[in-house]
Amino acid sequence: MNSVSPSAAQYVGGVMQDELVENRRQHPLEQQGSFGPRPPPTLDSDRDATGEPDEMDKLKAKLMSAWNNVKYGWTVKSKTSFNKMSPVTVLGHFYLLNSEDEVERFRLAFVSRIWLTYRREFPQLEGSTWTTDCGWGCMLRSGQMLLAQGLLVHLMPRDWAWSDAQQLTDVDFEVFRPRSPARAGGVPIPSFGSPRGSNTPEKSLSSSQVPRCSQKKRPECVKDHQAEPIHHKLVTWFGDQPPAPFGVHQLVEIGKGSGKKAGDWYGPSIVAHILRKAVAKTSVVQNLAVYVAQDCTVYKEDVARLCDLSLSQTPPDPSRHAWKSVIILVPVRLGGEALNPSYIECVKNILKLECCIGIIGGKPKHSLYFIGFQDEQLLYLDPHYCQPVVDVTQANFSLESFHCTSPKKMPFNRMDPSCTIGFYARNKKDFESLCSAVSMALSSSKEKYPIFTFVDGQSQDYGLEGHSSNHSGPGAHILPPGKMGKCNSRRNSDEFVFL
Amino acid sequence: MPPFDKTPLQNKPFKQRKSFATRKQEVAGIRTKFPNKIPVIIERYDREKFLPPLDKTKFLVPHELTMTQFVTIIRNRMALLPSQAFYLLINNSGLASMSLTMAQVYKDHQDEDGFLYMTYASQEMFGH
Repeated sequence: MNSVSPSAAQYVGGVMQDELVENRRQHPLEQQGSFGPRPPPTLDSDRDATGEPDEMDKLKAKLMSAWNNVKYGWTVKSKTSFNKMSPVTVLGHFYLLNSEDEVERFRLAFVSRIWLTYRREFPQLEGSTWTTDCGWGCMLRSGQMLLAQGLLVHLMPRDWAWSDAQQLTDVDFEVFRPRSPARAGGVPIPSFGSPRGSNTPEKSLSSSQVPRCSQKKRPECVKDHQAEPIHHKLVTWFGDQPPAPFGVHQLVEIGKGSGKKAGDWYGPSIVAHILRKAVAKTSVVQNLAVYVAQDCTVYKEDVARLCDLSLSQTPPDPSRHAWKSVIILVPVRLGGEALNPSYIECVKNILKLECCIGIIGGKPKHSLYFIGFQDEQLLYLDPHYCQPVVDVTQANFSLESFHCTSPKKMPFNRMDPSCTIGFYARNKKDFESLCSAVSMALSSSKEKYPIFTFVDGQSQDYGLEGHSSNHSGPGAHILPPGKMGKCNSRRNSDEFVFL
Repeated sequence: MPPFDKTPLQNKPFKQRKSFATRKQEVAGIRTKFPNKIPVIIERYDREKFLPPLDKTKFLVPHELTMTQFVTIIRNRMALLPSQAFYLLINNSGLASMSLTMAQVYKDHQDEDGFLYMTYASQEMFGH
């Protein structure tokens, strides 16, 4: 959070000094959270001090992670209520939770998503003393979850579900009075999930009440023999070890190119670019590219250039119609200080699309991975649970801590306006239908203009000729630090600039 | 201005610096002189931490300029990298499609005083 690297200085120019001071001032506040009781002050002091005994560091990490888990409600769990009368949307699929079958489908859909959280006691991040991302890495974790979802769609059989998915915990299914957002009048119905706090939920209900894998309903279970090793492998790519291609070590390393370092806070746009670079860099995933939209515009020809393998061949071979699959990431800002409420309908419509792989964003300062909604509430996976590291290099490591059993919701109006929306297209045809489906979803906004647009052509066709490389004299346009308050700038700033 | 208000005048939003009548007059004057240009006010989002302030707030923009071109000009003024987050919010709330022309945006969103107001912001960071 107190990052100022040379490369950051390049683009922020004159404000660097102010920024540095401001960040230093914010440091203690941000590190410890701005609400609730504070942890003992010794926790964060002088992390950079060298020569501390390892034991001390370990104790600190443990205390910090325990505090974090209390603060974000993982120790004393609260139940999430689901309305049995209106459908839950999860990444383009719909579940009306008024029957056991539907609850079962919802359970598989939710628990099968890959959940990546804070971890502690992983190998030190290069160039820092950090051995945990607890307290700063939540946006990176949300980004990992989005990418993991993209990879599930890319690699796993259609409608794959994890056959070992556990029972849901901490959920209630209730009949809400129609159109009433409040719980008043709701008749509590016994939960289909396991009893609260049970650590071995599978025993309690699954065998008797909810048939886990009935042959007629879930043919995908048959395919599990092929899918399970891929599932396992996919999770290893997100392991907290330096060689893992999408692990926190690799992502932090790539982020250095954008002026970020371990311990910093990340934004949804920066993370989109980090993911793009991570996928481009690795050879573990074949036939997949990531495209990041700029200025809320997806340039179709730029996507084509990224995906069309015949174009990248020398000489171009039009007879090969191979297209890479593509993850399209669109960083947006849906309002100033708060979410512009007229975009809520639009966000819902996006989450209803099957090509959507989720949204990374959050509440202010608190990143979450949004995967769906019910009524006026977003459904999310929360990275703010600090777990001990899992050594994914061990054969048959447990997948349990990489899947979440307690779905959580938050009201749309608390959503931070900064986010990145993700989509996946398997091939060219898929991309074409994605463009029209998404455009239609976007046009439903009550705002006059859509959140973002698809246009033909390349980005360079739309810029200003000769302007794009004109970085020569930026200093003249940016107010140098300290000058803001001086009177001599006043007269200048009152004149019109002709474009 | 009350004597105890220490906020320098030029740091306040444009709308607070000048009365409605003055602003309206200003637009009328400039529109007479330059009927082919649109008067636009661009200000930094007041909680923006990453993007630099601009030295000017008032711009006269050709009708046919697209939002893409307009954003490119502002980005260049700040020397931003293409990958750096930069958003222009109309009236501090909505995004404008990049393919629109300034004339279209002006027609839909001009203020009562005749200016078109835009706020620029990057993205928030997350960490807790």
